[in-house]
Amino acid sequence: MSFARLILRRKALLFAVGVLFSLVVISIFSPYFVPYDPDALKVLDRLKPPSAAHFFGTDHFGRDIFSRVLVGTRVTFILGLSISAFALVFGVPLGVLGGYYDRLGMVIMRVVDAIMAFPAIILALALMAIMGKPGMVNVIIAVGMVWAPRMVRVVYSSTLSLRENTYVEAARALGASSGRILIRHIAVNLLSPVIVQSTFTFAFSIMEVAALNFLGVGIPPYVPSWGGMMNEGRTYIIRAPWIIIFPGVFLALSVLSFNLLGDALRDRLDPRLRNIV
Amino acid sequence: MLSYILRRAAGMVVSVLLVVTITFILMQLIPGDPASVLLGPNATPEQIEALKRTWGLDRPILVQFYKYFANFFRGNLGESIFFRQPVLEIIGQRAETSVFLGIMALIVVVGLGIPAGVIAAVRPNSWVDNSLLLLALAGASIPSFWLGLMLMVLFAGKLHLLPSSGYTSVIATGNIANLKNLILPAFALGFVNAALVARTARSSMLDVLRADYITTARAKGLRDSVVILKHALRNAAIPITTVVSFTFASLVSGAVVTENVFALPGVGSLIVQSVLKRDYPTIQGIMLVVAVLYVIINFITDLTYAFLDPRIRYR
Repeated sequence: MSFARLILRRKALLFAVGVLFSLVVISIFSPYFVPYDPDALKVLDRLKPPSAAHFFGTDHFGRDIFSRVLVGTRVTFILGLSISAFALVFGVPLGVLGGYYDRLGMVIMRVVDAIMAFPAIILALALMAIMGKPGMVNVIIAVGMVWAPRMVRVVYSSTLSLRENTYVEAARALGASSGRILIRHIAVNLLSPVIVQSTFTFAFSIMEVAALNFLGVGIPPYVPSWGGMMNEGRTYIIRAPWIIIFPGVFLALSVLSFNLLGDALRDRLDPRLRNIV
Repeated sequence: MLSYILRRAAGMVVSVLLVVTITFILMQLIPGDPASVLLGPNATPEQIEALKRTWGLDRPILVQFYKYFANFFRGNLGESIFFRQPVLEIIGQRAETSVFLGIMALIVVVGLGIPAGVIAAVRPNSWVDNSLLLLALAGASIPSFWLGLMLMVLFAGKLHLLPSSGYTSVIATGNIANLKNLILPAFALGFVNAALVARTARSSMLDVLRADYITTARAKGLRDSVVILKHALRNAAIPITTVVSFTFASLVSGAVVTENVFALPGVGSLIVQSVLKRDYPTIQGIMLVVAVLYVIINFITDLTYAFLDPRIRYR
């Protein structure tokens, strides 16, 4: 890697960490410092362009876009975290067991491959329809079900290579039980691939949540969310494009930062992961 | 080669069977009596009874499962609650838009992604390479529906160069100019995937360009263009083919939202409509069709590898 590229990488990583840190601060504290009540309707101020009074303009109800975008950060991060956790809880045990026990692995991976034959958004939409009504928990389950199989796959491939290590063989020769080997020798070493994959899961899942909200089948429209705001702004896209521009910029920045962070973590923790994750 | 094809084909059949099974299980998860949920609140008891009989819902679950399979292989995916029409027929009517959109997006993916990756690999670490890297990263992070909306604001709203929404069948009207309506959506959809293809094309070209036979080809005095296009690109093609085939799933996913943004009458907007209307047979039908297509495309990709790299056949 040339010097220029290293600097570029460094700068990119710094940028990503800076953005993510700000977003975390925003998502925790935004309800206390936003300039306007994000739900306050002011019909006289409707569809106002960005100005000193309203940094990001107002929507068709006169609600302040800046305040809504900031508050939407919280929803985005809660959902992203919960979906990543969902993928971890289901993905890691299934992946480890599948990677360690050949027969079980064959069955699990067949099912995982079959689930992955359904494009992400189609599976998420179908699950939302099956569960019946929009809501945070249903979104977490629907999008989590889409990303858990991908986690299984990563953990499975890593376990396959880990179990061939001499120290696993040594542990087995010493009479260690399968449970002990799985937890003390394999699961511990899965940390790197799992962290990297979780970062990407977060990035893709917030994009997918935004898509579901944009289509009107995610969380209820009264909760300010980036995707939901873009959906509401569609009718006014030519007259008031700012309703859509700003939530989109925040979404793209978050996804970009998580992708940069994931790339950097992968290169730092284990460059071999490039082929797996 | 024949044994390779047969092995892959067997794998494909297993995948299709699993996909059908998964959709069956998913539909069992709908809470309540499936027939009345499937038919909606306005269904008469006779309709519910009729549906139960057609789908064998009054029979034991294994019999239902068998019946479901049999119907699937006969091409009977049930009837839409909302359209009162066989699901396969509706999908067929909507397929044109989605297929054209997909093809045009794929042209964007391949036409932008591969040249960008090759150029970046030929001049690694140059400003061209670095800007392409940044653009590729941005491309991978921008949601396609947002990009679509922004393109709509710019090219349809401000510059009035292209239509902002809608699409009328080219096949029915014979008017090829209608494809103009698909340019913006295809670009929005393709750009994101082009970024991915560019990254892969770059790294696999970089690997190949380091190989000894490339040095030999250059030493023979071959022109740069011949070395890059004939010797290097052909050998870098396998990873690139993989990524291009992966884009199918991502294009389908993207199309669901993009068709919605641009009000295109395709399969993607059909599934969203069906979800909002709780039209379960249609949702199920689309899931089946798309997943089976995906499995078939994977199969074709595997065969393409074997064609591109004879070593694979003997593994």
